[in-house]
Amino acid sequence: MDSIDIRTQRTRIENINALPTVPGTVKRISQVIGKPGVTLSEISHFVSSDPALTTKVLKMVNSAIYGFPGRISSVSHAIMLLGLSVVKGLLLGISVFEIMQQVMAGLWDHSVGCAVVARAIAEKKGVKDAEEVSVAGLLHDFGKVILMLEFQPYYEEAMKQAASRKVPIFEAERAVFQETHAAVGTWLADRWRFPPNLVEVIECHHRPGSAKKAPLETAIVHFSDALVRARGFGFGGDSLVPAVHPAAFELLALSDADIRDLLDKLENSRDESGGLSL
Amino acid sequence: MKTILIVSQDPLLTNLAERLLTPRFRTIVLGGMVSAVDAIYNDIPNLVIAEVPSGDDATVESINNLKEDPMFNQLPILAVIGDQPTPEWEGIFVEDYLRKGDLEKDLFSRVSLAVSRSERVVEINPLTRLPGNISINRQIEDRLGRGDLFSFAYADLDYFKPFNDKYGFSRGDEVIKITGRLILNFVKNRQPKGSFIGHIGGDDFVFIMEPGLIEGACGDIIRAFDQIIPTLYDSEDRERGGIQSKDRRGTARFFPFMGISIGVSGTTIRSFSHFGELTGAASEMKHFAKKTKGSSYSMDKRAGRSA
Repeated sequence: MDSIDIRTQRTRIENINALPTVPGTVKRISQVIGKPGVTLSEISHFVSSDPALTTKVLKMVNSAIYGFPGRISSVSHAIMLLGLSVVKGLLLGISVFEIMQQVMAGLWDHSVGCAVVARAIAEKKGVKDAEEVSVAGLLHDFGKVILMLEFQPYYEEAMKQAASRKVPIFEAERAVFQETHAAVGTWLADRWRFPPNLVEVIECHHRPGSAKKAPLETAIVHFSDALVRARGFGFGGDSLVPAVHPAAFELLALSDADIRDLLDKLENSRDESGGLSL
Repeated sequence: MKTILIVSQDPLLTNLAERLLTPRFRTIVLGGMVSAVDAIYNDIPNLVIAEVPSGDDATVESINNLKEDPMFNQLPILAVIGDQPTPEWEGIFVEDYLRKGDLEKDLFSRVSLAVSRSERVVEINPLTRLPGNISINRQIEDRLGRGDLFSFAYADLDYFKPFNDKYGFSRGDEVIKITGRLILNFVKNRQPKGSFIGHIGGDDFVFIMEPGLIEGACGDIIRAFDQIIPTLYDSEDRERGGIQSKDRRGTARFFPFMGISIGVSGTTIRSFSHFGELTGAASEMKHFAKKTKGSSYSMDKRAGRSA
């Protein structure tokens, strides 16, 4: 067993209904839900700190039942539209990873770190919906979760190859799966009717030059990914710091002071509660 | 084919139910109500058969929580109970029940009946699934008849028509659905019990709350509306802050983002003898609110008896 053509598994991937989360989140769900008088913004804050909860909420609000397909890409908007009782039901229905818990915890930290940095850059750049960019940062790697979850032995092989050949994980993925986590994430994000801009960031975060609808958002997440890895936050599947696409870096036009400020924000987000939080 | 979701941990029950219902219905079996709720969120079945063991508060809570949302309010739930005394149905939002011992004899027929009953027209707005005019009138008349103290709000949208004209009715429908959802959620957040939200039609909505709570809800609704609505415009229009479209006379002009105007009246400041007076007063207040640029609400402060 060393490789599989993931493109032949697309239907299986598209039939996935939900992502599991890490054990730490499950412990916090009942605390948050059980809190008397919990507000929508507290729940939004909590949901935004976890990729699995975020996908669940976005999938529901963009589904045919509510009838806003491809429209809602912000967690706080989703929660205002779904309402407390539906969101509680969604959170209680989450399951937890039984596999690769340590790798997953590392990926969760990486994702939350990207969300923090992406939001901060979006605010600096005066993007109208900084929250949407933050969501894109949180979810850019969710294809990795799918690959680890459904094809664990192959993913372990990819991580091993990334380490031994000293190549980025997406190159090792291509060797093992013929495609990368970016493509796999895009299949499911499309299927779940995530808004087109969000889908594009997921698809193009390693090649921001190809982004057509959301070039700025894609460049932001692309850069956040590199910065969070450079800072040694979490674990994205390999230990390398990827090269930043020069055009993306120019588009963002961040000064040294900006970057120092971003690193401070990342640091502060870690200090807040022992773990990372937005 | 209609789908029946069977929720029980008892294999005897689930096997029996599956045997009785197939091939007439498609059946799905799940072990607990929490995972069932998750499955229902993914795909609404036509009916749920749920075993409600005596004293199982978690199951009852999941059922009630599900049924509190109008999207799922119409989903019929058939409770299956054992030999325990019949529970107090008051706090359990199910449509019907059967005892385990009667399943063989009655299940198929009860399920068929419940499914066909749920298909008969209920007076809800198909877009928002909120109750319509008959229920709205009845809600008001009942409260007036009982002499309740309550506040009544009448809301509609500013610049909805140009949006609808420019982007087409399906995007207009999204705006209506979003508005209904926001009103519902923020009213229920402030007052989970005893409040009421109705959809008159088009972009007209009403809600009824306790007098002390309604002003806060109006503020919540407006804030949320103003946050979400701009995201529904195309990005160029969003940058521009509105759209170029035609007004009622057919003249082209610029329209800013849609707003929501809410007028509030109620029985604490005046007495009303019938619903028309009350809706009229709230509608007048809404016209005041409409004079303000952007989203706003306006509270009736005029004392005395309505003319």
